[in-house]
Amino acid sequence: MFDLNICHLYPDLLNTYGDRGNMLALQMRAQWHGINANITNVTIGDKFDSSDFDIVFLGGGQDYEQEIIQQDLLYQKGAEIKNAISGMKVFLCICGGYQLMGKYYKTWDGKEIEFLGALDLWTVGGIDRMIGNIVFESDVINDSGNPIKIVGFENHSGRTYLGDDIRPLGKVLSGNGNNGTDGFEGAVYNNVYCSYSHGSLLPKNPLLTDHLLSLALRQKFEDFEGLGKLDDTFENAARTTVIHRILK
Amino acid sequence: MKFRQTITIFISKLTIFALHLLRRGGTTLPGKLAFKLYPDILKSIAKDFEIIMVTGTNGKTTTTRIIEEILRNNNIDYITNKSGANLLSGITTIFIQAVSLSGKPKHKVALIESDEAAFNQVTKHLIPKTVVVTNFFRDQLDRYGELYSTLNAVKSGLERIGDSTTIVLNADDSMCASLGKNTSKRVLYYGVAKDAYQETSEDMNSDAMFCIYCKNKYEYTNHIYGHLGDFYCSNCGYRRPAADLECIEIQEASSSYTTIKWKCTSALLQDDKELVTRINLPGLYNVYNAMAAAACGLALNYSIDTVTSALQSFECGFGRMESINVQDKTIKLILVKNPTGFNQVLSFLALYNQALNIAFLINDNLADGTDISWLWDVDFEQLNNVPDKIDGLITSGVRGEDMAVRLKYSGVDIRKIRIIKDYQMLIDEGLKKTPTGGCFYILPTYTAMLDIRGILKKKFNLKEFWK
Repeated sequence: MFDLNICHLYPDLLNTYGDRGNMLALQMRAQWHGINANITNVTIGDKFDSSDFDIVFLGGGQDYEQEIIQQDLLYQKGAEIKNAISGMKVFLCICGGYQLMGKYYKTWDGKEIEFLGALDLWTVGGIDRMIGNIVFESDVINDSGNPIKIVGFENHSGRTYLGDDIRPLGKVLSGNGNNGTDGFEGAVYNNVYCSYSHGSLLPKNPLLTDHLLSLALRQKFEDFEGLGKLDDTFENAARTTVIHRILK
Repeated sequence: MKFRQTITIFISKLTIFALHLLRRGGTTLPGKLAFKLYPDILKSIAKDFEIIMVTGTNGKTTTTRIIEEILRNNNIDYITNKSGANLLSGITTIFIQAVSLSGKPKHKVALIESDEAAFNQVTKHLIPKTVVVTNFFRDQLDRYGELYSTLNAVKSGLERIGDSTTIVLNADDSMCASLGKNTSKRVLYYGVAKDAYQETSEDMNSDAMFCIYCKNKYEYTNHIYGHLGDFYCSNCGYRRPAADLECIEIQEASSSYTTIKWKCTSALLQDDKELVTRINLPGLYNVYNAMAAAACGLALNYSIDTVTSALQSFECGFGRMESINVQDKTIKLILVKNPTGFNQVLSFLALYNQALNIAFLINDNLADGTDISWLWDVDFEQLNNVPDKIDGLITSGVRGEDMAVRLKYSGVDIRKIRIIKDYQMLIDEGLKKTPTGGCFYILPTYTAMLDIRGILKKKFNLKEFWK
C-alpha cells in the first residue's frame, strides 16, 4: 500500500480562510484512493527536515501572524525548503504562503520586506483589496489534454509578479488573480504550486488535488501507475454552480 | 438648527410610517435619509437617553435580549434595536422613532446592539453609559478586513467616548480583555473560571494564539473554547484578568438549558455568596452571553433577583434559536455565521438524545459574508463522534453544493447527505424524516434565515418577526 507524509507548515499561524480544507482534501482523497496519508504539523521552533515529507502545505495568514513567522521561515527552515524545491518535492502555497516563497514584499508606501526567495516572484502591496470569487483556466493541470477551470475565492491586497522561470498556474476568466492586470493567476515552478485562491481551493477542484497527490506518489514510488476515478458528484456540482453563476 | 432637526424627524417618521403601510420591514432607509438631511441628527436626539451598548463578534443579539429582559423585570421604559438593524442607519431609525417631533426622548433607556465594525462610527454620535463587549472571533473577514483591525476599531470607539462610561469585558478573551488595559474607565470583567469546565481538545485553528503585546505564544491553564480560557504570556506577563463576575461550575448542560454556579466580587455585589441559576438556554456560548448580560445588569445597579430571573426566563427571538411547533413535531432554527458559533451549535446538537435531522442553509450574500471558506474552519468532524445519531443531513442555500462537499470531507456517511435547493421540499422532507415528538434542526446563515423564515411564516402562519 502506498503512503504519503504531508507537512502542514505553520498551521497555527497560516490558517486564514479555511486553509484547513486543503489538508482535509489531500488526506481524505488519498484515503479514498486507498493511500494512507499522515499529516504532521510543523511550526515555529520545530525542526523541518524535508526528507520526512512528500507534500508541504503553506496557507495564508493575517499580516500580524506573517510577521511572527518571518524570522523562523527565513533563517531556520529556509535552506531546507529550497533544497526540497530543487529536489522536486510537492508544495502547495496559498495566498500569504505564496507571497512568502517569493523574494520580497514591498509595502504600498515603499518599505521592502525580505521574503524567502525560493521562487523568482515578488509582491507589491496595494491599498485596495482584491476580493471575490475567481475562476481561472489551467493547462498545467488538464483533463485528458483539455484545460480545466478552477474555482476559488481571492482576498488579497498584494500584487504578485512572476520572473521568467515561473509559469502562471492559469489564466483568469473572472476575478483579479496575481495582480489584477496581466490576467494570470498563481505560479508553478518545479513541483511547487501557488495560488491566491482559497475557498478552500482543493476540495472543490478534485482534479488539482489528485494532480498533486499523483505528483507526490510518482516521486516516491517507482511502481506507482496513477490514481483511479472517484465519485466527485458533489465536488463537480459545487464547482460548476459557481462557474455558471460567475461566467453566466 | 432646531428647525432643520424638526423637519428631519418629521420626514424620517413619515418614511417609517410609509414603510409600515407597505408592510416592509426596512429599518435602515429612514436613518439613511435622516443623515442626509441633518448629519448631526443622531448626536442631537440621542444625548438625553441613558444608553447601553453591546458589541463584539459573537453573541451580541442574545446578550442584548437578556439585558432587555433585565430592563423589563425592572419596569424600565426602554427602546432597543431588533432584527439585525445594528449599523449606524438602523440605530438612527430607532432613535427617530423614540423621540417626539421636537426631539424630546419618549423613553428613558436605549439598549443598542452595535455591529463591531460600525461601533467606531456609532460612538461618534452616541455616548453610552455602559458598553458590553462580548468577544472577538474570526467573522466574515472579507467584509471587515482582519480581526486585529476590528479590535482596533472598537478600541478607538471606546477611547472616543470618554471616562464616564463603564465597560464590561470578557476576561477569557485575550483580545477583548486587552480593551480594559490602560484606561481610566470603570472596567468590569466576566468569565468562566478555569475549573468550571474541562475542555479536552485544544483548538489548533484558534484566532488569537499569540500575545497581542509581544507576539509570544500564549500558554493556557485551561481552554474553554476557541481562544477563550485562562491565558497568560510567559514573556511579557499579560494574563487573563481576574473576573468580577464568574461562572465557577457548569452543573448541568442539557440540550435546552444550562445550570451554572456563579459568583461576583464586591465590585458588583455586596454579598459574595455563590448563586445557582438555571439559564434557559443551552450551549456554553450562552453561558458567556448570560454572564455578560448579568454583569451589565449588576453594573447598572439592578437587583440580583431581577437579573437571575431574566437568566431563568429568557427566551430567544428571531432565530438565534427559535422553535416552531408543527403538529407533533418541532422545527428549530439556529442562526450560524462563523466557525466558533457553528462549532458550539454542533456540540449542542450532539447532546440531543434522538435521531438527528439537520438542514444546513448556506448563502453567500453580503450580509452572510461573500466568502464561504469559513465552513472549512467549522469542526464538522465532531459529527463522527455520534455517527449513529445522524439520520439525515440536508444542504441547501446558494452554496448548498459547497456545504455538501464540506460534509463529505468531514468523513460522515455520504449516503446521509442530500442537496435539496427548494425550501418547500426541504421543510417537507425534513419533517417527514423527523419522528413524532422529535426536532428538525435548520441551521441557516443570515439571509437564508430571512428566506426560510418567510416560507415558514406563510406555511405555518407565524407572526411578523420585525415587530
